[in-house]
Amino acid sequence: MTVEFVNATFPIITVSIVIPLIAAGLLFLLDEKHAKPVSIITSIIVFVLSSYMLFAYDYSTYKIQFYEKYTWIPYLGVSYEVGVDALSLTMVWLTALCFVAAFVWSTNIQKRIKEYFISFLVLEAACIGVFVSWDLVWFYIFWEAMLIPMFLIIGVWGYAERIYAATKFFIYTFFGSLFLLIGVVGMYIYQYMEKGILSTSYFDLINLGLPFRLEVIFFLLLALGFAIKVPMWPFHTWLPAAHVQAPTAGSVILAAVLLKMGTYGFVRFSLPWFPEASKYFMPVMFTLGVIAIIYTAMMALAQTHIKRLIAYSSVSHMGFVTIGTFALNMNGLNGAIITMISHGFTSAALFLAAGYIYERVHSYEIKDLGGLARFMPVFATLFMISAMASAGLPGLSGFVGEFLVLLGTFDVSKLTAVLAGISLIVGAGYTLWLYHKAMFKESELSSSKIERWEKLRDMNTPEFLSFIPLVVLMFVIGLYPAWWVRLLEKTSAAILSKFIGG
Amino acid sequence: MSVLQELVAGIGIPNFKVLIPEIIILLTALVVFTIELLTKARFLITVITALGLFLAAIPALTMEQGDITFYGLYSVDTFSLTFKFFLILSTFFVVIVLRPYLESKRTYYGEYYYLILFALLGMMIMVSAPNLVTFYIGIELASITIYILAGMFKKDYLSKEGAFKYLILGGTGTAIISYGIALIYGRTGSFDFVTVADSITQSNLDVGGVAGIVLLIIGLALKASSVPFHFWTPDAYQGAPTPITAFMAVAAKIATFAVILRIMVEAFPFAYEIWNLGWALLAAASMIFGNFVALKQDNVKRMLAYSSIAHSGYILAALAAPTDVAFTALIFYSLVYIFMGLGGFIFLSALERQYSWSNHIDDFRGLAKRSPMLALFMLIFMFSMLGIPPTVGFFGKLGIFLALIGSDIWWLAVVLVVMSIVSAGYYLRVVIYMYMHEPISSARFNLSLGESFTLAFMATAILILGIYPTVFLDISQLLGNFLIQGVGR
Repeated sequence: MTVEFVNATFPIITVSIVIPLIAAGLLFLLDEKHAKPVSIITSIIVFVLSSYMLFAYDYSTYKIQFYEKYTWIPYLGVSYEVGVDALSLTMVWLTALCFVAAFVWSTNIQKRIKEYFISFLVLEAACIGVFVSWDLVWFYIFWEAMLIPMFLIIGVWGYAERIYAATKFFIYTFFGSLFLLIGVVGMYIYQYMEKGILSTSYFDLINLGLPFRLEVIFFLLLALGFAIKVPMWPFHTWLPAAHVQAPTAGSVILAAVLLKMGTYGFVRFSLPWFPEASKYFMPVMFTLGVIAIIYTAMMALAQTHIKRLIAYSSVSHMGFVTIGTFALNMNGLNGAIITMISHGFTSAALFLAAGYIYERVHSYEIKDLGGLARFMPVFATLFMISAMASAGLPGLSGFVGEFLVLLGTFDVSKLTAVLAGISLIVGAGYTLWLYHKAMFKESELSSSKIERWEKLRDMNTPEFLSFIPLVVLMFVIGLYPAWWVRLLEKTSAAILSKFIGG
Repeated sequence: MSVLQELVAGIGIPNFKVLIPEIIILLTALVVFTIELLTKARFLITVITALGLFLAAIPALTMEQGDITFYGLYSVDTFSLTFKFFLILSTFFVVIVLRPYLESKRTYYGEYYYLILFALLGMMIMVSAPNLVTFYIGIELASITIYILAGMFKKDYLSKEGAFKYLILGGTGTAIISYGIALIYGRTGSFDFVTVADSITQSNLDVGGVAGIVLLIIGLALKASSVPFHFWTPDAYQGAPTPITAFMAVAAKIATFAVILRIMVEAFPFAYEIWNLGWALLAAASMIFGNFVALKQDNVKRMLAYSSIAHSGYILAALAAPTDVAFTALIFYSLVYIFMGLGGFIFLSALERQYSWSNHIDDFRGLAKRSPMLALFMLIFMFSMLGIPPTVGFFGKLGIFLALIGSDIWWLAVVLVVMSIVSAGYYLRVVIYMYMHEPISSARFNLSLGESFTLAFMATAILILGIYPTVFLDISQLLGNFLIQGVGR
């Protein structure tokens, strides 16, 4: 596969990585009261840059755009190599947007403000870096560097069991990442032995022509790293713990951005690098995906804790992404990528909603809620839209992706498509159940609760502002998916070129 | 012609010009010794020591051409000069934090300074040795002075116990080394690395040669505190004054790794199968044992001692592969370990001076609230030891990884990976205590200028090298290739 590049006239990607880091360094020196405005402005600048890229991106052909490459470690053949195709670009844009939402939301934070915003800024730089790096060493650096701030965010600003959750998150991810590293190093060595090329560039490793046996080994090593991050069943146990304990903004980033790294890894690396192994493991991935979808949807039904419920629903949605990816056809992959974006919006919005409820009621337990809709109508509307988008109501973003995934899967395995389709009903079930229990059921409210509820205020400005763009975008994708499909088309075709030709 | 002239004409004058760093260190040691006898001006002694180190570092860095001098007994080449520079550098940092520490512990003795300088001289001789005898002299000079240094807390039982253990086991180690040297001499008739290399090859190995190599490996493993010859390490490290622990864990270790590499590659290049296997087993044992025991420690100083055993394992793992990649990885990891090791131990040394600080993990509670800057430094040291990018520890491990996988030694690579994950348990614990627990005391920390500078320097270096390791990798590669080219000279 040969890839064309369009060099950046202005190093816009590097700038979007460096700006948050500079801001983080600046905050270390500045007074605490500047932390909020500086972070919000920084994240808005990054968002503007990524939006500019989104509109300046030429999606009529497959080229790596805004491409920069500088030699970095000649001894190991490592370069600093960044650029975007449509997949990276949408992920970067999603990341930038979610960080704006997280920062705006975090104006409510009171505890250790400076360190909080520094952690998030470093996290933002690392997350963007993961999606734009085409050099495997840089990819790995960003992939791992992200652990440090996230570990602190969960561990310092989380709830009661935060230390356990943070450690579990760290160890799980670190474990997977090291196997990912072994895989990449193995391929690098193989490339050197066979071809005499010293390079860690994605575009060199893609043309390895591995024998099938090695392809399987490397596929498994990389897949372990990605599967833990996704997380796929049975590696998902860190996720509910981390989500439940993380602070609201941390949950938002975790669900909207960090989970996407795993699926991004599958799409970006596993498919183009190991086409034969991907075909070979398709049934396995389908099975794991379907188990994830059904099992975790069932688990979600049984939850009484709002965040845990949303966490399980995330695993379920990621199952859709997995089967869409490994359907190995255009519809499936487009659907998987759109589900990734859509899940970014919906899960971010749902976790914001959960955080919002907690701020008011100081409980995440569903039984402590009920009848809230009457007392906070604006919130109830936005929450409703997000929940419906998550459940896959047509006209909202969740439907588009899941529909395309099912369409793609149906061509390959009817059974998988049917099973996954059935679980959509369960998905609608737990979402509606959650909404019903939390927001309606006024008739069952005790008088003491009504008394308390009457004192509740509806959304304040930062909360509203962080919510509204997500909800608007759910409509944008849901009502006009054609633009997104067109944006992604050439990229999906390029990724699948080893399966469908061209 | 006088007798003297005749002698000179017969055997030539050694080239003293290339010995300038050693001469400066020796003179500084003697000057410090004299001044310490005459005055009690503590500040002056520190300044003179630091100045001497600084003066010695310049020629070590700028000297362009190396030479084999002293009638073939002393080799000043790129390899030894680079290591000398880094040894001097690490000693410099130990010296500038030493005085406040000792004064706060009320155990100030002027002896520390010249003993450190003599130990440094021993290490410099070690890394310059082209010959088993020179190497032996160097390692003895370094070891004996460090035995004394480790026991300098004269009123403290732990310190004496650690020093005594170190003396007994270290003495055993040198005895084993000398026995190994004797066997190799008996087998080859020479102490010279080059001659030994020619005589001992894979095809003509016999009991004498193998026994010599094995004994030498055991003795060196003891000095490098590799499991199962590590027993002195935790006690000696914990008991010694903390800056001295830093000196032992960093300078002495680095010199030992350099000399191990040099002996293995230059003296036994054609018998690599033996030492590959030997070091691979020792490395695996060190990684497994060091990491698991470190998990159980509540005293952070002792934990770092075990972690340094584990790091010996990571570094020595490179010797499982006889390739230039492996040698480069070993040199790179040794060099960057200076920053992590010094950072970690000097952090403890600076805090030990504070009120009611006992190095217990509980003392770390809420450190991030009491001093965000210090907590950040320790965070960087811990993550670097763990090997998380963007710290340089990652590139250290990556190099070892590349070497092992490149030579198809998968089992050791897997041990390294699994043990890295285990090590997350105790490194993270420190971070958790610093950031996620509430402080029990709000007393502020007072650090001396030297301590603040050292910690900031180490943390910055770790981050900069973690983003841009190119220069250090190039140096390491240069040295690795230099060693290989020297084979069969």
